Amino acid sequence: MATTTATITLASGDMMDNSISISNTATLTNQGNDTGMTKTTGLTRIITAATDNVVLINTGDTSGNYGAAALGADNTINKGKIFIQNLNDRGDGSKYVTVLMQAVEIGRLYGGDWCFFPFDGASGGDDVELTPSSTTETALEYVAFYE
Amino acid sequence: MATTTATITLSSSDILSNIISLSKTTTLYDDNTTSTGLTQCQMGKVNVYVTGSSFDLIDATPNAEDQTQYVYIANKDTTAANYVTISIYNEIIGRLYAGDWMFIPWNADDPGGDNSAKNDIEVEAFVGGPQAVEYAVFTETAATNLVASGD
Repeated sequence: MATTTATITLASGDMMDNSISISNTATLTNQGNDTGMTKTTGLTRIITAATDNVVLINTGDTSGNYGAAALGADNTINKGKIFIQNLNDRGDGSKYVTVLMQAVEIGRLYGGDWCFFPFDGASGGDDVELTPSSTTETALEYVAFYE
Repeated sequence: MATTTATITLSSSDILSNIISLSKTTTLYDDNTTSTGLTQCQMGKVNVYVTGSSFDLIDATPNAEDQTQYVYIANKDTTAANYVTISIYNEIIGRLYAGDWMFIPWNADDPGGDNSAKNDIEVEAFVGGPQAVEYAVFTETAATNLVASGD
């Protein structure tokens, strides 16, 4: 097993009368036990000008780079956690990348934004997808850790 | 406006043959602006019991659609097998096991349809409990994130 940690710090000195300071560290483990996740896509960078859905993590895939046919069933991505960041400049704040779970919108990553969340495609079909808001080239980085 | 930052640090010394160490900070701004910080937030801690039902953790107000919002949720339980699912209405995003957290942008647009109050962020416990769940949502200035009282 491996030891991988994800730490978040949320801070604001002026959102409220008192400062906000939230910090939390999670150790990334397989579902339901203390065994550390041992597989990762590695940090990956993509550039896209598409305005259609782009499948970032094709859960249950049996033909892609991480699929059963390519690397064996043990490497199919079903359950994991993913970090995505939009590397573009914020610009005028009007351009973004929509993050979706199987065509259902979660939210929008504007230039400079990031997100981190668990995904579970074991029941089939819950791919992690993106849709840029414009044909302006968008650079993104992501890394998924999975079991 | 306010200045609120969110920082993530991901690190591992042994999942690859080389160390993974990355850090990213973003400032939470209103959409269509270059530097106007979000000005509203709600946060709390709730106990989630196994009941066979999901519960609204963060309400989607009609005004919330396509407003810029960022959501932090953490499962503060300590038993490894315990988990809650986090969903937007009927679309499950994933499971937060004990000690896990997530941070996502949220525009309350799907899957219940435009301006639908169904697009809440929901939580459901499946094992053990009660599981303590902490959350925070940061929202822009243009709309309230309060739910109408209806009475």
